[in-house]
Amino acid sequence: MFATVASASILGAAGHRVTVEVHIGNGLPGFTMVGLPDETCREARDRVRAAILSTGLCWPDRRITVNLAPSRHRKTGTGLDLAIAIGVLSANGNITADAIADLGCVGELGLDGSVRPVPGIAPMVGVLGDLDAVVPARSVHEALRAAGGRVRPVAHLSELVSVLTGEAPWPDHQVEAPDAVVDLVADLADVHGQPVARRALEIAAAGSHHMLLVGPPGSGKTMLARRLPGLLPRLERDAAMEVTMIHSAAGVRLPPLGFVDLPPFRAPHHSSSNVALVGGGSHLLRPGEISLAHRGVLFLDELGEFAPSVLDALRQPLEEGVIHVARAHVHADLPARFQLVAATNPCPCGGGPPGSCQCDETSRQRYLRRLSGPLMDRFDLRVAVHPPDVEEILTTQTSEPSSAVAARVLQARQVAVSRSGCTNAELDGAALDLHAPLSDAARSLLRFELVCNRLTGRGLHRIRRVARTIADLDAQSGRDPVQMIEEAHVAEALRMRAQIHARLPEIA
Amino acid sequence: MSLIPEAPADPAEVGVLAILAGLSGMGPRRLRLLLAHLDPIDAFHALADPGGLPSDLADFYSLDLRRGWAVAVRSCNLEQVATNCAELGLRAAAFGSAQYPRLLLADPVPPAVMFWRGELQCLAERRVGIVGTRNPTRSGVATAGTLAQELAEAGIAVVSGLARGIDGAAHRGALSARGPVIAVVGNGPDKAYPASHRDLWQQVCDHGLLITEWPPGVPPDSYRFPMRNRILAALSEVVVVVESRERGGSLSTVREASLRGIPVMAVPGSLHTRASAGTNQLLCDGAPPVTCTEDVLVALGLHSQRRSDLAQDPRPAVGQMEAAILDRCRIRPQTLDDLCRGLAITVSTAALAVARLERDGWVAETGGWFEVLGAWAGTPSAEAGEGAEHDIADAGCPEHSGPEAIPYGT
Repeated sequence: MFATVASASILGAAGHRVTVEVHIGNGLPGFTMVGLPDETCREARDRVRAAILSTGLCWPDRRITVNLAPSRHRKTGTGLDLAIAIGVLSANGNITADAIADLGCVGELGLDGSVRPVPGIAPMVGVLGDLDAVVPARSVHEALRAAGGRVRPVAHLSELVSVLTGEAPWPDHQVEAPDAVVDLVADLADVHGQPVARRALEIAAAGSHHMLLVGPPGSGKTMLARRLPGLLPRLERDAAMEVTMIHSAAGVRLPPLGFVDLPPFRAPHHSSSNVALVGGGSHLLRPGEISLAHRGVLFLDELGEFAPSVLDALRQPLEEGVIHVARAHVHADLPARFQLVAATNPCPCGGGPPGSCQCDETSRQRYLRRLSGPLMDRFDLRVAVHPPDVEEILTTQTSEPSSAVAARVLQARQVAVSRSGCTNAELDGAALDLHAPLSDAARSLLRFELVCNRLTGRGLHRIRRVARTIADLDAQSGRDPVQMIEEAHVAEALRMRAQIHARLPEIA
Repeated sequence: MSLIPEAPADPAEVGVLAILAGLSGMGPRRLRLLLAHLDPIDAFHALADPGGLPSDLADFYSLDLRRGWAVAVRSCNLEQVATNCAELGLRAAAFGSAQYPRLLLADPVPPAVMFWRGELQCLAERRVGIVGTRNPTRSGVATAGTLAQELAEAGIAVVSGLARGIDGAAHRGALSARGPVIAVVGNGPDKAYPASHRDLWQQVCDHGLLITEWPPGVPPDSYRFPMRNRILAALSEVVVVVESRERGGSLSTVREASLRGIPVMAVPGSLHTRASAGTNQLLCDGAPPVTCTEDVLVALGLHSQRRSDLAQDPRPAVGQMEAAILDRCRIRPQTLDDLCRGLAITVSTAALAVARLERDGWVAETGGWFEVLGAWAGTPSAEAGEGAEHDIADAGCPEHSGPEAIPYGT
């Protein structure tokens, strides 16, 4: 008359183990669910009843109580359906307790008894430990990545019941390996001309520098940003696992093999709310766009159009690589270590050659005010993007493909990591002195910029970090990793420092 | 050479004029008519009552106007206004009075009242107006600054509008040479507009003349600037347009100058720059070109011949790559992308070359575009930032290092 089934639910980006306890006793026929289920979870009652009846089994006309332990945490989603159904059948005597002792069940039930995928299979299966995980057949690849025990894919409740009553072996759902993964990442070969922007992408990829693209509409800022993930090295196993867990928990469509090993690229629209970007919600604490961009690229197009509060919310995760989301009853730490790429127009009218700006002073000032402030300090690279030349757009020659650039990027990243143990974007002032020595010519160039008041102390660090990356890209393999930074490296870094809304300094 | 007697410091009269000129619906013509018949103080008291004006004068103003003025005059605090004006060091003169600038007496549309801060004596000097776009190129700013500086060194007063861009550059140039400087502004003399020119505004008040037909508290409405331009033109002996778009405020100054028979000169600019479209058109229409300060001095009748040759360019010579880049920048402003593509060089090479050119003062960058700096514009390498003025003042002008005769004074 009593049964327990192991299952799991999602909070933030992490799975939490849930034990479904079912008791069937005397009393008026009824179904009560306790243990803080949310609305979708509470509706499981009707789905489970219909699914059991569709399978041809009897629904016990007695008093059924379901408890979702631990009872103090709120349970969300439909992933507990399957466990509840098995618990009811077991408590009713259709299935023995031994048969389900080593099982953890995750999946949503249809009224016809079919077992359907739910978001977050990977983190949920992950917390089931060494139990055999019963999962929807369509989620098998996702589950295999995280499972500690065996994975038992089922497509229908009746299949599972037959197995548990000993009438049939585990069904063999063809775990067809999808075709060799076709990477749908945009390639740099499509970008014609724009040597400066291409070079900036390469530097950004090699040093993990946050990048701001400044250019008029139609200059290809978005097109360029989309090509950055293709230049980044594939994720290592641990990082890929983290990303997979987050994407699974958020219900983002995973690659066919259920494993995210390409750096993700997220481009939220500028109307996105604070919660959509940083994550949250009253109970679920769903990962936001910045967590979905974990270990990848977060692209904010039209940076100035984002609500100021949204941009302010980015500062802490940019610093710490994690966002702490707290609500009255729940809190979660969502990983958010992303590379920020943003795009903006140089001024409201789009800018152009000197002397061609159309904007009046008020709108210019308003635009500038939006984009100033601490967020701007995070961008090591600020690249002026100009529309490509007509001849270049029409050319049939393909440019250098992403793969060639990615090879140089990988080598430069290896140089950086072997030298300082981190990417160049993470070097602070002291580390720069140690790892980025300047040649005399480079020093005199920087001195000139400082004397002219065109460079501040903080700006100097940014230039040195970027120059370090440029030097790493230039370094041939096998050379001393703490190679001196030359004048050319600094000169190039200085050009990656576009002004938003550049206007002439008022000089006599 | 005190052609103009010092304005008597009568705070009450200045206050009355400030109140009268600030009444809504009181344009220059109405005010001139009023003050032609009545003493300012009498006019003030007459306006306090809708029926207070003499009947022959009252016919020129509608009853609604007079009622509105009566309410405004009665509600104002004359003492307070007079004190405020005195604190600003503001002086005023009505049309026809002894202190009223004589240059404006014969004007087709003379202002009814002029307000000024600083030295009215500046109007006794030779005067050149320098005007241009608020959105100039770097070479335009440098040209305006150098032209104003050299004119100021020759003892000539520079007249301009204190606007952003060319105007501001002209004022700064003249101030850096400690020359007489005259600013004609389109709003009240109490509040700096644009706000970013607050310091410049104050410097003009301290070392030159800031003059306007509007009393304190009048906002910089857009319709006031064309009216300002007629005064600017009337106070200049020659108007030089440094950079202007095909339409714009500086061309309205040009029209006002032509109406008054004041010669207009223009600085030639690149065909590819929008900021020079207006000035190039002026040249086509027959305006004499300004290619050096002597051109303006000749127009003023102060100098008999143009300078024959430019002095040796003081900037370090450039290498082959840098020379190729300079050639391209001379045609039109170039982006780094343009340079990489046009010269088939890597970003790194181009960046290093422009960094050297920038350091040696050959080019300057704005918003990703590189502009060539001319030898005449002569801007030293250290530009931008707050220290720029000193640098320019210290560096002086190489052309003037020689002992050739510069006609100082008038």
